[in-house]
Amino acid sequence: MDNNKLKKLKGYHVVFLVQNSMVGLGLLSLPNQLSSMGYSQWWLPLMLGIIANLTLIPIIWLFLRYPQDNIFTLNEKMIGKVLGKALNLFLVMYLIIFIASIIEGYLDLIMIIALPDRTITTPLFIFFILLLYVVHGGIKSIARFCVMSFFLTVWMIYFLQWPIFEGDVRHLLPVSNFTLEEFLLATRNGYFAICGYELIMTYFPYIINQKKAFKNASIGIWITILIYTGVTIVSVMYFSEWQMEEVLYPILKLYKAVELSFAERIDVLGISLWVFLILSSAAAYLWVAKKGMDAFRSNNKTYHVYLISICIFIFINIPFSKDTQELIYDNLFYFKFAIILWPNFLILLHAVKSRRKQASS
Amino acid sequence: MGLIKMLGKVLEKKVSGQKGKTQPQKQSAKSRSVSLEAIKQMLKDVQDVQYKPIRTSEGLVTLIYYQSFVGTTVLHEMVVNPILRHQETVIHAADKLENDDLSHVLNLITTGYTVIYLHKPNQFYALETFSAESRAIQQTQTESTVIGPQDSFTESFETNLSLIKRRITNADLKNKDYIIGTETNTKVAVLYIEHLVNKEDLDCISQKINGTDYDGFLDISVLKQLIEDHPLSPFPQYNMTVRPDMAMQYLLDGRIVVLMDNSQSVIICPTSFFELFVPMEDYYNRWMTATLLRSLRFFGFFVTIILTPTYISALTYHPELLPFELLLNLQESRDRVPFPPVIEVLFIELVIEILREAGSRMPTKIGQTIGIVGGIVIGTAAVEAGLISNMLVVLVAISALLSFLPSNFLMSNTSRFIRYVFILSAGMFGLYGQMIALAWLFIHLLNLTSLGKPYLAPGIPRKWTDLLDSVLRLPVGLLRFKKGISVVKRNRVSPLDEE
Repeated sequence: MDNNKLKKLKGYHVVFLVQNSMVGLGLLSLPNQLSSMGYSQWWLPLMLGIIANLTLIPIIWLFLRYPQDNIFTLNEKMIGKVLGKALNLFLVMYLIIFIASIIEGYLDLIMIIALPDRTITTPLFIFFILLLYVVHGGIKSIARFCVMSFFLTVWMIYFLQWPIFEGDVRHLLPVSNFTLEEFLLATRNGYFAICGYELIMTYFPYIINQKKAFKNASIGIWITILIYTGVTIVSVMYFSEWQMEEVLYPILKLYKAVELSFAERIDVLGISLWVFLILSSAAAYLWVAKKGMDAFRSNNKTYHVYLISICIFIFINIPFSKDTQELIYDNLFYFKFAIILWPNFLILLHAVKSRRKQASS
Repeated sequence: MGLIKMLGKVLEKKVSGQKGKTQPQKQSAKSRSVSLEAIKQMLKDVQDVQYKPIRTSEGLVTLIYYQSFVGTTVLHEMVVNPILRHQETVIHAADKLENDDLSHVLNLITTGYTVIYLHKPNQFYALETFSAESRAIQQTQTESTVIGPQDSFTESFETNLSLIKRRITNADLKNKDYIIGTETNTKVAVLYIEHLVNKEDLDCISQKINGTDYDGFLDISVLKQLIEDHPLSPFPQYNMTVRPDMAMQYLLDGRIVVLMDNSQSVIICPTSFFELFVPMEDYYNRWMTATLLRSLRFFGFFVTIILTPTYISALTYHPELLPFELLLNLQESRDRVPFPPVIEVLFIELVIEILREAGSRMPTKIGQTIGIVGGIVIGTAAVEAGLISNMLVVLVAISALLSFLPSNFLMSNTSRFIRYVFILSAGMFGLYGQMIALAWLFIHLLNLTSLGKPYLAPGIPRKWTDLLDSVLRLPVGLLRFKKGISVVKRNRVSPLDEE
């Protein structure tokens, strides 16, 4: 493969790719997910950010040693062809289910808030056409779309102004009124919203300045964390503990506090605009799934994207019962965490291998 | 999507097809030797051609020329009188022609030369005598400004070239000529300033012009469509202007200007999306005024494609979006309208489109009548008849006005077309549909290229100095940096399966 052709992501592309694949549906329900900690949840995103940044270190360390490989080809290199391929297929299947969970979660929300009394099929179909259009341009096109989405949506933070004035600052007082169990539960649930930066394991070979990748990815992570912290602080100020536990999508409720002369309820606009965030993260994940498929089939074909999208489309349309669905989607978390920790295992293998090499020479 | 891609490939193939396709007739002419009989035979049934025998002191001379190209005064002053007096001097001034290239001789005659045939030494000479009428330099109707130079290009190639060259009196201003059009042999020139231009662009444009395989070029806009990077996109990817000062402005930034004979406009390439909104007057105004007008134009583009679709989605799907009083007003204004909002909007938008189209081809006096009939009579009557709401008439009028703000006519057409995409998607999915359409628009713009350069400059390529002359137009003294789009390397997009 031509080395120069691969290098196409500049520093700011990495920042926004990391940032936008993290922000997705997770943000909408973040205060609810963290609600087991009550009012003390507002500093939790900062802690999650530190964890994310710490787990980023082994990832970057590993891939700086293998600058031409993505996670899928590295799997094959490290744990053998057969095992690696099996693992890659498993990862692709996981990604399919994960993308399905993002898209379905979002479209369900659209169905409830913006388009009641409609079936999901046509909006879903349109969404997929657009998704394929983004992915078709390759990783650089996705990165550009991420930059654009960030600037098209970030101004919505301004809407937090109204809830701040209506909120109560005393909610922020540091009272440790939670147990360890509640803390772990909140961490577990909250981490779901932070995930997404691990995709750098796939697009790392495309980064032009790989030495700076850690810095850029960290900037991306901390932009997200800042937004999350802002949102949780405002939520803590605005809501009561009971509300945070009961309201599924507290961000939409925050929108309702907004008072503008020309618009009554901003939440519809907000949730519609969210399509940019969902599109950008779904596109990044879809591209990664495509790379996984490429590695599994050992060739590079555009139709893999279509194949995966069809799988996702079918998966979304399978009429699971609500309980099964929740069971599947909830357990995705463990895979997610396993994937983030996976590079550590590969580093171990790398160490063993290089020691062996040294011993033999 | 596959179908579109296939169509695109066919189009690309058509553009980059075989070059240098020569007609069999021409080939036969090329191999033949030149003689009066041969010329007469080739120009059989051309009633226009004149063979004027003149007997001079040194023998018989025949002048061959197109009557429609060569005026009588010019002929007599430049050829006939001098030949009668001193044949030698005329022969020295004229070009001597080879005796074995008939097609070249024919080509000279058909482009307005007078061919002088001396019977005695059996030798042909040619003298340029083209003196057909052409339009005078006039004020532009389409890109007029209050301040700034008022001259505009005409259909004459030489006039257009002189209009640019007299503004940049510098030997570094080069022009390369090409002959394109298998039937029309149209002359095209590529203008650039040697030390400013991006060599990559220059290679690209000459490759594209050489690669065109097309019979006849009616106007430079045909050539423009053929050499665009994405023929299927609704967006114009090169700028077109009839103003010499605009051509000059971009030449000085290192762009390429393409001129064509018989065409009033010139192409400027590469061009970014943003530059299609910028008229020359921006640089003649005070910077604050220019900044205000620019932001109006730029944001007007987005308002015009979003305004009426929002009316549809608010009334069809999200009445809760609007404040109560406004909603009440809206509902009151359309309580007699029997259609859903999307039909209502489509109806009135199409009426406006029809009015514009009907008015655009009428003489001014009738055009005014159409404006009155359309605007006042149909508008008021339609509201009173309960076909449309009066609130909508206001919105549609605003968005129609906004769609005329971009300085580039093709861009304002595009904004109208895109509005229909937004209207339909809003009619189907409300705000969600609108956002999907907006996402489509942005992805499309992000992927577009102009001569291989990213179209969405100054966003990409990122060059901070571009911001000084973007939505802002800072004082002229600060605008001394070349634009990112002129400097940056070509954007090599590899297909998904090569990543």
